[in-house]
Amino acid sequence: MPKLKKHRVGFVLDMTPLVDITFLLLTFFMLTAKFKSEAESQQRFTIVRPQATADTSRLPDKDLAIVKIGIDTVTGDTSYYYEMTNEADWFQVIGGLETYRQASEGQRIRQVKANLEELNELIRRTRIVRPTTRFAIDADRRVRYKWVEDLMEVLRQNRATVFNFVTDRRPPEQPPM
Amino acid sequence: MGVADFGGEAKRERRGGTRRRKKMRRLRYRLDMTPLVDIAFLLLTFFMLTTTLITPQVMEMTIPPERTQVEVRESELLTLRIRADGKVFYNLGNEAPQPIALKDLEPLAVRENVRLKNRLITVLKASPNVPYGVVITVLDVLNRAEVQIAEQLSREGLRRERRFAIAPMTEQDEQEIAQL
Repeated sequence: MPKLKKHRVGFVLDMTPLVDITFLLLTFFMLTAKFKSEAESQQRFTIVRPQATADTSRLPDKDLAIVKIGIDTVTGDTSYYYEMTNEADWFQVIGGLETYRQASEGQRIRQVKANLEELNELIRRTRIVRPTTRFAIDADRRVRYKWVEDLMEVLRQNRATVFNFVTDRRPPEQPPM
Repeated sequence: MGVADFGGEAKRERRGGTRRRKKMRRLRYRLDMTPLVDIAFLLLTFFMLTTTLITPQVMEMTIPPERTQVEVRESELLTLRIRADGKVFYNLGNEAPQPIALKDLEPLAVRENVRLKNRLITVLKASPNVPYGVVITVLDVLNRAEVQIAEQLSREGLRRERRFAIAPMTEQDEQEIAQL
């Protein structure tokens, strides 16, 4: 009798659906990815935002001026930082200011550190360049309220009476304290 | 065995014989997909891990354009004070300030606003030394109360007009709540 040869069963897996889904997801994530803006890549602090109940209102993405109150990761100092999303307006606002002219030579500055008087000047100029600019306060939740109070006073003096506090969504299962 | 062989023969016959078989055979094109899939997964992992899908949300604030003195009736004034250690105190009009837990603040705001039907003015005073996050938490509680207030007032046929102000904390305020 001839030997019965045991055939190996060739295992073939059809990879096509897998690859389809993978590319679909890849395309999705590639298109939704938002990279750090120039201003953000220049900042040396991270902001731990305060948490608020989930809301549908989102930060406007155009003609926005953001005042950040951040704690420097190296020195631990709190200071105000100012940036704007509209590039043309930004250079118009910053261009006339002597303080920043020297610093801005060589590299394109997209975010400046400012004290209250400088901030007042920056906000005033912003209101002149484009009165419809929206303001947002993006402050670390650990900073003293004084910083925010002073900033609101500056905004009030410049007639920017409507502004936004940037917050993070509170996880739904976590009640407020 | 014999049967199987015969069947095989029959197949060949149909195809036109053994001699021409090699010519007829199609070249099977096989592409090794492994490197492609490798790279695709690598990129997928990278983008999945680096994306943050949650964009920051905002809480909109409106402040009065000027510091003006507005005369209000004391019975229609709800003052909330946040002490430097984060404790919240409330008082209606001239009453003595009382401490209040955050979870009780929402029912209080709803109750008083519904009772006085839109006439209540809420003033929030926060100590300059309190962490900013605490202030936002209190504002958030008040914002949530707003939904219930609007709902309850609309049942009575009223439209909700919010009367809310943020005022700086004076020394007198500090003293009043310091001992509590």
